[in-house]
Amino acid sequence: MEGWTKKHIIALKDLSRSEIETIFSIAQNFKEISQREVKKTPTLRGKTVINLFFENSTRTRTSFELAAKRLSADVLNFSSSASSLSKGESIIDTIKNLESYHPDILVVRIGLSASLEVLKKHTRASIVNAGDGKNEHPTQALLDMFTVKEAKGTLEDLKVLIVGDILHSRVARSNIFGFQKFSSTVRVCGPQTLIPYEFEKMGVEVFYDLDAAIKDADVIIMLRIQRERQSGMFFPSIREYVEKFSLTPARIKKAKSNCLILHPGPINWDIEISSTLKERLHPLILRQVENGLAIRMAVLYLIGTQKKDNENTN
Amino acid sequence: MKILIKKATVVNPDITFNADILISNSKIVKISQNIRERADKEIDAEGKFVMPGFIDMHTHLRTPGREDEEDLLSGSQAAAKGGFTTICCMSNTSPCIDNEGLARWIIDEAEKIGLVDILPIGAITRDRKGRELTEFGALAKAGCCALSDDGDSIEDSAIFRKALEYAKMFDLLIISHCEDRSLSQEGAMRESFISSKYGIASIADISESLRVYRDIEIARYVDARLHLAHISCAKSIDIIRKARKGFPRLTCETAPHYFLLTVDDIERGGFSGNYRVNPPLGEKKDTLAIKDALKEGTIDCIATDHAPHSFAEKELPFEQAPCGFIGLELAFSLAYTQLVRNNFIDLSNLVRKMSANPARILKLPLKGEIKEGFVADIVVVNLEKEWRVQEDNLFSKSKNTPFLGQIFKGVVEYTIHRGRIVYKNE
Repeated sequence: MEGWTKKHIIALKDLSRSEIETIFSIAQNFKEISQREVKKTPTLRGKTVINLFFENSTRTRTSFELAAKRLSADVLNFSSSASSLSKGESIIDTIKNLESYHPDILVVRIGLSASLEVLKKHTRASIVNAGDGKNEHPTQALLDMFTVKEAKGTLEDLKVLIVGDILHSRVARSNIFGFQKFSSTVRVCGPQTLIPYEFEKMGVEVFYDLDAAIKDADVIIMLRIQRERQSGMFFPSIREYVEKFSLTPARIKKAKSNCLILHPGPINWDIEISSTLKERLHPLILRQVENGLAIRMAVLYLIGTQKKDNENTN
Repeated sequence: MKILIKKATVVNPDITFNADILISNSKIVKISQNIRERADKEIDAEGKFVMPGFIDMHTHLRTPGREDEEDLLSGSQAAAKGGFTTICCMSNTSPCIDNEGLARWIIDEAEKIGLVDILPIGAITRDRKGRELTEFGALAKAGCCALSDDGDSIEDSAIFRKALEYAKMFDLLIISHCEDRSLSQEGAMRESFISSKYGIASIADISESLRVYRDIEIARYVDARLHLAHISCAKSIDIIRKARKGFPRLTCETAPHYFLLTVDDIERGGFSGNYRVNPPLGEKKDTLAIKDALKEGTIDCIATDHAPHSFAEKELPFEQAPCGFIGLELAFSLAYTQLVRNNFIDLSNLVRKMSANPARILKLPLKGEIKEGFVADIVVVNLEKEWRVQEDNLFSKSKNTPFLGQIFKGVVEYTIHRGRIVYKNE
């Protein structure tokens, strides 16, 4: 792509508004291609994409895998459970070993926050962040934003509300950085125990009361309660969480009538969201999955077809 | 062996003056103008500054256990190059220094190397587990200069109290690492806007200050000597400042990175493992509070917390890398460049922080000052000369420092230990 200069997609905090718009316009094309009889394009033929997943993932990994295959790249899936990491090999040695296959793109999912700045120094390949600890999950935020843009026609001046476990959420962080680049207002809401320290400095409005936070919202992003993380330290019971922070038909009435509800999935029904809203949410969730594929194709395409003279930039 | 240092600008803890210094058989025998005696070696110190050898109260020498990261020889060489003539090695080796045999062995090996004095700091509890006390009497007799469980605070307040009481019988200093683990957990950096922005597991400053307060209260209650290691935040300093007024037996140290670096440097450094340290780097308000505390004397010493780690460990991502920086070869230059050149403290005060106060706190006789009859532990420095921190100019086996590539002022020209030149800058 003419003018594309980023070698890696590591964080939305590092992408400009126009770069995000470029990704969206390419994604739009790929979305159309995916609806055709022949869904494959030869754009990344001969390129190698490695899905390097140090943390479990099915949805994000399969989405990236299909995206790479639709672009005709060779795809290798590497997951930590099947790897030598369990034998004590360091993450850096793993990357160096994979380097021998001369990969063009590494799609990395890792449990360590902000670790890709370090890892990228050990590979000549481009890195696409598929979730790094609690830091960022840029393609998830891009697909959320793309879905919002599709539905609303714009990303400008919206009131975006993110609800739930903000502390542990890379999806929240990426969405905050993303939506703010389009002058939208971002609110976060959750138990005080799950809001990070000095989070107002992010430029977000912090709420602990969902009924107040939801007022006039254009978009609501419900985060998954990661039950495996909840030790009883952050909130006492699911029951009390549901009481305070579950999205119910009654609560939604306080948002704008055309309010869009997103969820990165998988949903714990009747915890984050009342299952009576299933009918309303279902089409959107499917659209998120479809858009996720298009966004990931766009990202892989932009990075994979980039001119080699950008090798050492960024 | 006689050494004559000519035209020295002598920096003592209280006064700076010009004189010649005559050293004979490990002692300083004469300090006066124009000494005309013949010596085996004459050092022309015109334009240089001569200070009492530095004493590091907090060194990790990784011996026994991780000699690949540092051993007694490389640690001694690094110390000598940094102007240190006495270093106190922490108990967190593997096996740990919780018995007289190991303490004695370290002292003997250091004597054989003969570059600097290495004084072990024994563990307070067996295997540093925080449960049963070690044999304080035997450790003292073997030559331990103090006791500490180093990286682990003793969780059980009753055991900590008993340790302080029992240590009094042997006039042993207890050194405390202040950290409430139930608060710090798996944290990797100071809780701050930066940690929130990047989702890095974080450590609130109260994890240190709470434990500072507990430890002081217990020590004051039993009237025992207590030294607090590597103080890193403003909140701790507020507590220490108030407590010291009625409790002079309380002392503490900081390390250069706590007045030089902040969380912003971690972000600027791309979250390299080389920036991870415990206690974690603080914010601007903390570096300012530490500089004030050094100036006014609330903080007694600048220690290195020299913590060698292998390349493979430190190249890991930030949240996975082990904690700590090397410091023996950098501490003086860092402190001089940051504190003295910027007029926070004068040279005499720096000598108090790096020589005189550690000698006083550790009760090391005839050290920490340039005085007739004192041990000839002396460092000659060129304060105008600069040097760049590079992997290939460090004696330490490990190169883990966030200051790599940076230039600092103040170069050690000679280090004299017990009347012998143990390091000369070529």
